[in-house]
Amino acid sequence: MPKVRSIVAVAATALGVCLAAAGARAGEPVSLLGGRVRLGGEVSGTIAPHDLGWFNYSDYQVSSLRLFRVDLAAEARLASFASVLFDVRSDNLAAPRVYALYLRLRPWAGRELDLQVGLVPPVFGAYPRRRYAYENPLPSVPLAYQYLTNLREDAVPSRSEELVARRGRGWRVRYPVGSSEAGPGLPLVNSQKWDTGVQLRLGREPLSLALAVTQGTLCYPLTRDQNDGKQVSARLAWTPSPSLAAGLSGASGEFLAREVQDVLPAGAQGTYRQKAAGLDLQWSHGYWIVRAEAVWSRWNLPALEATRIEEPLDALGFFAEARYKIRPGLYAAARAERLGFSEIPSAAGLRTWDAPVTRVEAGAGFSPWRYVLVKASWQHNWRDGGAVRENDLVAGQVVLWF
Amino acid sequence: MAALLASAGSPAQEARTAGGTIRGSVEVRRAPGSSEGRPAVAELGHHGPRDTPDRRRSVVYLETAPQAAFEAPAPGRAVLDQKNEAFVPYVLAVTVGSTVDFPNSDRVYHNVFSLSKPRQFDLGRYPKGQSRSVRFDQPGVVRVFCEIHSHMNAFILVFAHRYFATTDAEGRYRIEGVPPGTYALAVWNDGQVRARREVRVAAPGDVAEQDFTVE
Repeated sequence: MPKVRSIVAVAATALGVCLAAAGARAGEPVSLLGGRVRLGGEVSGTIAPHDLGWFNYSDYQVSSLRLFRVDLAAEARLASFASVLFDVRSDNLAAPRVYALYLRLRPWAGRELDLQVGLVPPVFGAYPRRRYAYENPLPSVPLAYQYLTNLREDAVPSRSEELVARRGRGWRVRYPVGSSEAGPGLPLVNSQKWDTGVQLRLGREPLSLALAVTQGTLCYPLTRDQNDGKQVSARLAWTPSPSLAAGLSGASGEFLAREVQDVLPAGAQGTYRQKAAGLDLQWSHGYWIVRAEAVWSRWNLPALEATRIEEPLDALGFFAEARYKIRPGLYAAARAERLGFSEIPSAAGLRTWDAPVTRVEAGAGFSPWRYVLVKASWQHNWRDGGAVRENDLVAGQVVLWF
Repeated sequence: MAALLASAGSPAQEARTAGGTIRGSVEVRRAPGSSEGRPAVAELGHHGPRDTPDRRRSVVYLETAPQAAFEAPAPGRAVLDQKNEAFVPYVLAVTVGSTVDFPNSDRVYHNVFSLSKPRQFDLGRYPKGQSRSVRFDQPGVVRVFCEIHSHMNAFILVFAHRYFATTDAEGRYRIEGVPPGTYALAVWNDGQVRARREVRVAAPGDVAEQDFTVE
């Protein structure tokens, strides 16, 4: 079976590269069936030294700075009011996985109301819809959308000391309640997976509202529900002028897996949710684009043993980035960000439940041709905890897209 | 293609006096390429209304032009509008030294740029009612894109001579003032030279007819 998966992955990669090359040569997406089906895609390779502090990992095995990704997207227009959208990706030649698969409907022509059903794009925030590497001026992913905290959806600590002991070790944590296997922690918002459900967008510029009901949560999107809970998320977008766009987001959903809830003592049974709020801004003019996002997230955990985790666990991620075009095909970019955590009582006193992280990154991008983008960046990370508290990384990325 | 636009050939006969006319039509039978962008997988709904560029417009030109044509190319001024998320016109033909204006007629931002060798430029983002200009000093094909809207693209063909014409809505073209001689006449459509014919202008005032069918 692994051999079959490898063959499928290699075949998908070859297909992706060929389609990307063909599309890039033609200068437009590959179109089939008289334009009713369009294919687009991206092949990207990112290389950096080993990230010994695991600052850029979005999974135990996948770092966003050591990644070869093939991404193929398709849009099939069924009628003027209905389309099916599909996206499949392979990371580091692993078996391809479906990233998006949904039906898009506009029931009433002329009315700004869209319905999307299936594995849908997130409504929360702005960064997760920058899906392709070419839409990201730097090779890395912002901390709020990638960094693995020491929380898990399938295992929980029984007391606060166990949580605090794993500050800065979110890439691989183990807790006594729930799954006994070590595994990666949860980001505030997982931008590497999309959630399954129903989505509605209504309104038109300057104001529009998007609402979604999905199976998983921001930190743990799902294809199949694992706890009978649903997440409700929304984003209100405001575009007062072509240069300015702002969004206000919120989400609330049950994140703890049923397998954990089933082993909790009777007194701790309950609903454990992730609640989040976000603010995103984009200003652009001339050769400048400036973006900023703040994501606040709160999780509730069962209070089991002393020192009990009775306070909600809060995290606040913030980033600001800017891109400036120096000349045709060449830009410079920088991002500064911070991920902070609330304090909880433990035997050692008040401690943040995970180690705060600060990151700065600066780099440049160059397009020798429209469909090729080469990026290089330098990144510095600081963390108030964990085995590696500080590191520098130099990364390079090549993106071919069509 | 750039070489073809720039080449100074040796026609059988040159004349500096008022010349003849080459006219005809171009019938485009090939299906035009997709005018849609990449699959909008990350969007939260359908995109707004946008125009479809007229990709049947062709440019007919002399691949080899009379030497005199290169002595005093007449620079001009042309407009490539950005309207309903499309460049209008889809193809623009100008002489070397011409300036092209790029007004934004949409309420959204556009960012016109080109990485083509004959002329690289990036006009940045500017709002409705504003315009930026670019002068084209090298002959060749310049592919124009919008950085924000990936489906928007257009061509600017920059000629070192003045013997070219863009087809009208019915596919007709007319090149006037051609000195008597025998020429290679080429038709360019949607990114490529699609056909070539030899055409002869026998004498001043003569009208040479040449029709093309592009499959």
